[in-house]
Amino acid sequence: MKSTKFTPRTILSNKEIDRKWWEIGDFFRRNSLWLLMYCTGCCAIELPPAMTSAYDMERLGMGPMATPRQADILLVSGYLSLKTLRRLIYTYEQMSEPRYVVGLGSCTINGGIYHDSHAVINQLDQYIPVDVYVAGCMPNTEAVMNGFVDLIEQIKLKKANGWKKYHKNFDWYKKNQLDSLGEVIVHDEFHQ
Amino acid sequence: MMNSINNVELVNNLVNKTIEVLKYEVIDKYQVAYEVEKRDVHHLLITLKSQGWKQLSYLSAVDWIADNEFEVVYILFNWDKPVHIQIRARIDRENPVMETILPIFPGAKYYEREVHEFFGIAFPGNPDYQKQLILEGWDDIPPLRKDFDPQAYSDKKFPKREYPQDYSVTDPKNQRKAKRDARKERATSLRGGKTQ
Repeated sequence: MKSTKFTPRTILSNKEIDRKWWEIGDFFRRNSLWLLMYCTGCCAIELPPAMTSAYDMERLGMGPMATPRQADILLVSGYLSLKTLRRLIYTYEQMSEPRYVVGLGSCTINGGIYHDSHAVINQLDQYIPVDVYVAGCMPNTEAVMNGFVDLIEQIKLKKANGWKKYHKNFDWYKKNQLDSLGEVIVHDEFHQ
Repeated sequence: MMNSINNVELVNNLVNKTIEVLKYEVIDKYQVAYEVEKRDVHHLLITLKSQGWKQLSYLSAVDWIADNEFEVVYILFNWDKPVHIQIRARIDRENPVMETILPIFPGAKYYEREVHEFFGIAFPGNPDYQKQLILEGWDDIPPLRKDFDPQAYSDKKFPKREYPQDYSVTDPKNQRKAKRDARKERATSLRGGKTQ
């Protein structure tokens, strides 16, 4: 029997070591995802059943998180007005990487019933990259849970690359943001 | 009710004693509306406030574009008597100006800002009615005016998702409507052929 003591050590390249660490990181990350719930619209009503004993999000290792800097997922539930979108971009840029975005409801996909409103944007993925969309107005709680499972699967298959896309196409995203919003800076008279 | 006179009549007497009412409407037993002259609004508000209608529930406006007028609506609320009073006043649409009610109801400050933002009505006397409140960096005519086209604004400002195929759910042959009509006809014939 060959002794392990004399097995030559495999020399791994830095890239390979990096990949392995990402593998490990992704394993733990996808099993403990923390959600930042940006409850802008009515789809937020699907979250109480998803969080509590009916569907129990916790069994997927998911839980709510209060601050953007500690959260993994930005959950956008419903329509976004221009005012909210400014805050959403702030929040998204505060989150630490890797960060994922889940859009709930048809409003984030194509504007939904607010498609002709003067205040509500139509397509969320023009402004920030979205990893998973859950369609429906509003989506069933099962569909919401399914969306989360899909996201976990995507992280496993290394397809949830929205945050990388944001870096790569930063100018494109910024241009879209400025075209629709005018300026992304928030002017708040109560905090100035 | 202890007294023989009901609340609506009480309000009616009070208002008619104070000013001249152009139009009067009882919406239900908890709501009455008075259309008054623009210059009488403040007088009426002071009187009603001293009589117990001390909360301004809402202040908004209506755009009557055919008449070329705006209608400012004040809704007053009384904590003791269950009657909401609406006071409506028509103002010119071309040069919409309504004096502020800030000395009477200080809380109207934000309502007036909102009305200015959505209808473009000026409220002289309110120091910051021109500040933005809800819309941030608005760059078009006030959005709740009837001549504002939200669809055109949305098309201009926000990118739309384009679908390669039409996913419309209405059936082209209108089969459902035919079925529904057949069902209705059958039901009518069962009822003895009477059409309502």
